[in-house]
Amino acid sequence: MEKLVLFIPFIPVMIAILIGFLNKKEQMPKVAIFFSSLVALLGLYGTYYVMSTDEVIYGFGGYLVFNELSAILVPYVAILGLVIRKYSTKYMWDEPGYKRFFILLNFIFSAIYLLVMSNNLIILTIAWQLMSISLYLLISFNVESKSAIKNGGWTMLVHKLADLFFIIAVILTYKTFGSFDLAELSQKWLDMSQSGPIDDPMIYAIGFLFLFAAMMKSAIIPFHLWLPYTSEAPTPVSALMHAGVVNVGGILLNKMAFLLLLTPAVLNVAFIMGLITAVFASILMLAVSDIKRSLGYSTVGQMGYMIMEVGLGAFSLAIYHLMVHGIFKASLFLESGSLINQARKEPNVPKRLSHELFWEEKPQYNSINMFRMIAFFTVLPVIVFVGVKLLLGEDFFHFNSATLILAFAWLTGTQLFLSFFEVSKANSPKVILALISSFILVLFTYEFVGLALEHFLYGEHGALFYEVATLHVSGTMTLLMLLAIMIVGWYFTYKQHFVGIPIGEHKPNKSKWRIYKMLAKEGYISDMYVKYFKIF
Amino acid sequence: MLVDLILLFLFAGIPYYVFFEKTKILGKEKIFILSALLVIVGMIVSCKFQQEISTPVVIVAFIASLFSLYKANKTNNLYKLTYYILFFNAPLLIMFNTKESILYGISLLVTLLGVYLMGRYYERSYGSANYQSVSGITLVTPYAGLILTGYFTALALYPPFPNALLFLNGILNSDIHVMWYLIVIVIFFGNFLIAMRVMAKTVFGKPNENVHYIDVAPKERFVHLAIFTLLLVLSIVGLKELL
Repeated sequence: MEKLVLFIPFIPVMIAILIGFLNKKEQMPKVAIFFSSLVALLGLYGTYYVMSTDEVIYGFGGYLVFNELSAILVPYVAILGLVIRKYSTKYMWDEPGYKRFFILLNFIFSAIYLLVMSNNLIILTIAWQLMSISLYLLISFNVESKSAIKNGGWTMLVHKLADLFFIIAVILTYKTFGSFDLAELSQKWLDMSQSGPIDDPMIYAIGFLFLFAAMMKSAIIPFHLWLPYTSEAPTPVSALMHAGVVNVGGILLNKMAFLLLLTPAVLNVAFIMGLITAVFASILMLAVSDIKRSLGYSTVGQMGYMIMEVGLGAFSLAIYHLMVHGIFKASLFLESGSLINQARKEPNVPKRLSHELFWEEKPQYNSINMFRMIAFFTVLPVIVFVGVKLLLGEDFFHFNSATLILAFAWLTGTQLFLSFFEVSKANSPKVILALISSFILVLFTYEFVGLALEHFLYGEHGALFYEVATLHVSGTMTLLMLLAIMIVGWYFTYKQHFVGIPIGEHKPNKSKWRIYKMLAKEGYISDMYVKYFKIF
Repeated sequence: MLVDLILLFLFAGIPYYVFFEKTKILGKEKIFILSALLVIVGMIVSCKFQQEISTPVVIVAFIASLFSLYKANKTNNLYKLTYYILFFNAPLLIMFNTKESILYGISLLVTLLGVYLMGRYYERSYGSANYQSVSGITLVTPYAGLILTGYFTALALYPPFPNALLFLNGILNSDIHVMWYLIVIVIFFGNFLIAMRVMAKTVFGKPNENVHYIDVAPKERFVHLAIFTLLLVLSIVGLKELL
């Protein structure tokens, strides 16, 4: 009975074939939703089975597996898929190519399931590439739009590069370790990691190739441009891209977690690249003028953060992060249509819960409050967190994860901050309270869920990753650096959203203007691509 | 060495570049058939006289391949495209082990036969196999759009089509050296760029208002369905070889 779960990757293909034979438009979403509900139920059953029996389900000659990682991700992808299909039913109704859209959507979901459930590097390679081509056809769905096709081409180029890195990594893995079976390889890597340090440059090369392949598909700087520039795709596709497709980098690195145990340098590079991406993309998110591109950069920043988590050895937290972020971002995209609709009907900005709770007219801003706010949003949460951690005991305190949690809370806090204040333009005590509460809530959820996930996914081996990924930086130093980053971040946020536009003769500071210009131009990276790589 | 030179002659399009390109003895619609026949002869030769291919021959084939890539990116004609793509993939046919080379060659020939037949459809429907002004076919001629998308996805080396699987099978079973990296990377990206360029101008784009679009006839659809079935069979073979 439990083996039925292994058919999940093939059900979307069956749905696509079935839709291909349907002529009535209204039947297509019905078929898609009915069968994807079955997939979701099967996924949930698989999760229940794995959790209750503590056994993984192998099938198709060991090529597919429903293990702990699948138990978490398959229901997530299935439910996300269900929501996206339901949303697309009406959203895509008037678009030419309704049938084509549903067929392609099912193909990409099939590729994602296959990627999550593969237990063989060849199957993983096929799923990895299948996802790229399905994504290209979905991004270019609006075939008449020149820019959509051009950006689709760029996306494909980055993904093709990721495919190449991935294929070479797979070949080298086979030549070095003599197997394609992921379970067998993971055991081999774990044994090797326990027998002492490894100096084989080939293993490092494999690790780097997998890391770079993951970074490209997860839109990590400097491979990020494909994500912010593909916002022209239909909204359900954007939701899928930001909530599902960009996560494959994190999924791949989790599948390769035991290989990365052998390569601390790869983890350190992942941390640095992730950190640069998280900070740079978050700043760009605030600076760019296009709202959709801003959302794109927000995702890039979150992916940077996810890779950074991997770089610190917090593989399970990366999975938790990518799921939470996926839900958050998908809801933002899917909600956008109804918000625009409301905005068209109402003269004012449509009211949201945050608006009703915190709206308060404030004619002029008092500059002293700024320092009070920075103190509130940075120093206080850090003190609360460290205090609680120390109270709970030394064993509970993994420094790497603490750093992650603080930084994550900072990033999430920034986003919440922006969401609230863009609506209300107020700084009432309610808002401050809500922000601190959200910060603490994020902090604790992240810590507890992260630990539970770590135990579920990696059991006793979870701690090994932290040991390998340790950066050997003192705790005080890291906390101080983090504090500095948070203060700068909050200050920037404040400047972006609270300073009124000066009236009359005002010449901006030249250096500030240059920095702003650089950020508004997205670090000139897009210009460079257009100028030097005229391929599409 | 003689076998190496014969293979180079048969696979890399030497007869075309030496005799047919300038003289126009053969029409471009016939060159693909001739080139395909030469490749099949090459496969038989490599099967009969299995031996290690010398590096200079691979280098010459690679240079010819780069020239074919340049030519493929210049042309807007589906007929010409078929044999340029065939010549472009020649280094792989020479470099791979015999079995892998034959399998990859067959899948390439089957896919290119499909493109060739689409060229004939273009010639019949629009007067020539030139696709330049016949854009946006996905919207107006969905069957033609679907068929071309299938063929060019296969040529761009994407699974589940056999070209990608047999390409992977070929590189997996060949010896890794510096030339290997260079050839694999160039051919991997070259095929992709050619396919993307054609797709951007045919499958995608705004339909041309001055063109009367005609979709693929039911009889032709059946032929293409047969080609896709053959590709499916080759995919299964490729998957079996890989696993």
